[in-house]
Amino acid sequence: MQTTVVGNYPKIPNKPRPARLRNAINKRDRGELADDDLVAVANEVTIEVINEQIEAGVDIVTDGQVRWDDDQTYVARRMGGVEIGGLQRYLDTNTYYREPEVTGPIALKEPVLARDWEFAQAQSSRPVKAIVPGPYTLAALALDKHYGSREKLALAFAEALRGEVDALAAAGCKHIQVNDPVIVFNKDDYGTFHKAITKLLDGVTGAETGVYTWFSDCQGILPQMLELPVDVIGLDLVAGRGNWDALKGVSFGKKLGAGIVDGRNVRMETEQEVAEAVKRLTEIVPPGGLYVNPSCGLEYVPREVALAKLKVMTAGARRAEGVPA
Amino acid sequence: MVVENTQTKRTNTRNSRMALTTTAVGSYAKPDYLTKARSEFAKGSIDRAELEKLEKQATEYWIRLQEKIGLDVLVHGEMERGDMVAYFSGEEGGNPIKGMKLGGLVRSYGNRYYHKPIIAGKLEWPGPMTVDMWKYAQDLTERPVKGMLTGAYTMVEWSFDEHYPSRRDAVMDMAKVIRREVEALVGAGAEYIQIDEPAIHTRPDEDFEVALEALQATVEGIDAEFHTHICYGEVERIWERMLRLPVKQIHLAFKNTDFAYLDQVREIGYPEDKDIGVGVTDIHTRFIESVDEVKDGLRRVLELFPAERVWVLPDCGLKTRTVDESEQKLQVMVNAVRDIKQEKNLD
Repeated sequence: MQTTVVGNYPKIPNKPRPARLRNAINKRDRGELADDDLVAVANEVTIEVINEQIEAGVDIVTDGQVRWDDDQTYVARRMGGVEIGGLQRYLDTNTYYREPEVTGPIALKEPVLARDWEFAQAQSSRPVKAIVPGPYTLAALALDKHYGSREKLALAFAEALRGEVDALAAAGCKHIQVNDPVIVFNKDDYGTFHKAITKLLDGVTGAETGVYTWFSDCQGILPQMLELPVDVIGLDLVAGRGNWDALKGVSFGKKLGAGIVDGRNVRMETEQEVAEAVKRLTEIVPPGGLYVNPSCGLEYVPREVALAKLKVMTAGARRAEGVPA
Repeated sequence: MVVENTQTKRTNTRNSRMALTTTAVGSYAKPDYLTKARSEFAKGSIDRAELEKLEKQATEYWIRLQEKIGLDVLVHGEMERGDMVAYFSGEEGGNPIKGMKLGGLVRSYGNRYYHKPIIAGKLEWPGPMTVDMWKYAQDLTERPVKGMLTGAYTMVEWSFDEHYPSRRDAVMDMAKVIRREVEALVGAGAEYIQIDEPAIHTRPDEDFEVALEALQATVEGIDAEFHTHICYGEVERIWERMLRLPVKQIHLAFKNTDFAYLDQVREIGYPEDKDIGVGVTDIHTRFIESVDEVKDGLRRVLELFPAERVWVLPDCGLKTRTVDESEQKLQVMVNAVRDIKQEKNLD
């Protein structure tokens, strides 16, 4: 069993620690800081959040998506055929993303993820997992002014993102995770999701690949998801309590990314709760096939809460394994 | 052209319905001196009394400006509030609901962060939270000033909850708190109470009935006219359910969707015993609509509603617009209403 995270991590700590990235972006926006200097601050903050995850005992970390404004636009804005529009509410949260507007054929113009991963991995003593935005989610949350069909749009995103995935694998990244949550809200459209993920990940070699969902359950679509050409399926077992039932009905032949610590609330789990959830899960998948992680990215909670939650999570996972904490 | 306030009595009371009543949604921009004072207060370089003096000064500015522009029912502008949930949860200067506190910073979008409130214990009314400022504003003017509150569902949905076993439990306790505040405002003389529920469509299938029940518990049996504001989301999805909300008026951001909600009114309907609040200027843009554009919108609304049941407002609170932009948008709105009243011979 290994512990990991789902993606993003809070970018700024609370007082008395300085909000360096926030301040740097404000300065850049006022014209008082050059873009290169902002990159330098983002680099330092990336190292800081990697170290925080390692300090918490997380086995496989991410770069915290420190450079990402939201899950969609960081990669989408670098694609041909995509412009970035106004603010939209992100699913059922009180946070917002900018809506990608597809105005022409989508093309990967400026791959960015392999570069980011190489930087992060060079700074980390633990494996760094790369996060790739999901093609289905991108298509569902974009305003389509060109393709005229969700499926065509999702497949076009998948084809462009495949360039990012291939570059990551070529760079030596061993863990590539596609975050594609919106399918849990659009189960009727599962066929499109399956085709898009297949186009994005089928035949990728040299890296473990996964697809993660959150905020609801995969009841009804989990059997088909287990046919996807991926190694890991990530499920939110907090907001998607129905996933516990969904897991009972299937023979889980892949690794499970189990979201058992609530990434959306500050209420703190106990080590015992985590350990009990892990034990229940090891009756479904062998320990070697289990990743323990929060239910979603941790940016919905303050930085100090995120760190505390990761510590409880890793300690609970060790307790379940019978290893003294 | 400016319409002078020559009234000596309140222009609109609950019992004398007039055509196309003009009002605003709630918040206005804080003038620069107040923004500066708030940050000085946060640093400790000025005291609470000094800040409060400036909040009142800014409130008076907005009351006078609304009178000058010619709005019928006024808002106090929320100069004392930073955020519509956080103000009740521990923001400096507020009287926080018992059981609530402010948490650490959470990112809202881009480089914007806010202190997300936390429900950390049993929710209880802490005594009046909004009455002093409402009374201050109402004493400045003969026109009615709305009491402005955030609804129980939105209060809970936009907070963390580390206390209650379920969202429903938290929302119903919150409704008791908001009800006490409504009673305090009505006791102080408020005739119009606006209870904003912008989060009401967050999980419509799972939670709408909870939100509805909470609003009922908040207002039931209290003698005041209740309004609610709903925005920023899929209003179409909740249209039919929304019509059951126990308020006299629902106001919606019509302009932002180019009056597409009128299709819902045609197809699904709108109850005869409710007024409709129509947003006629887009608050997300600096662009100032023309009087003709607003008149076109009003004519479309008046095809479906008698003028006595139509209230005219901006799409949402104006706090993201500058003072000048807000003034211009409100003036265009009032001028358009005046023209339409003349055109249609309305009082």
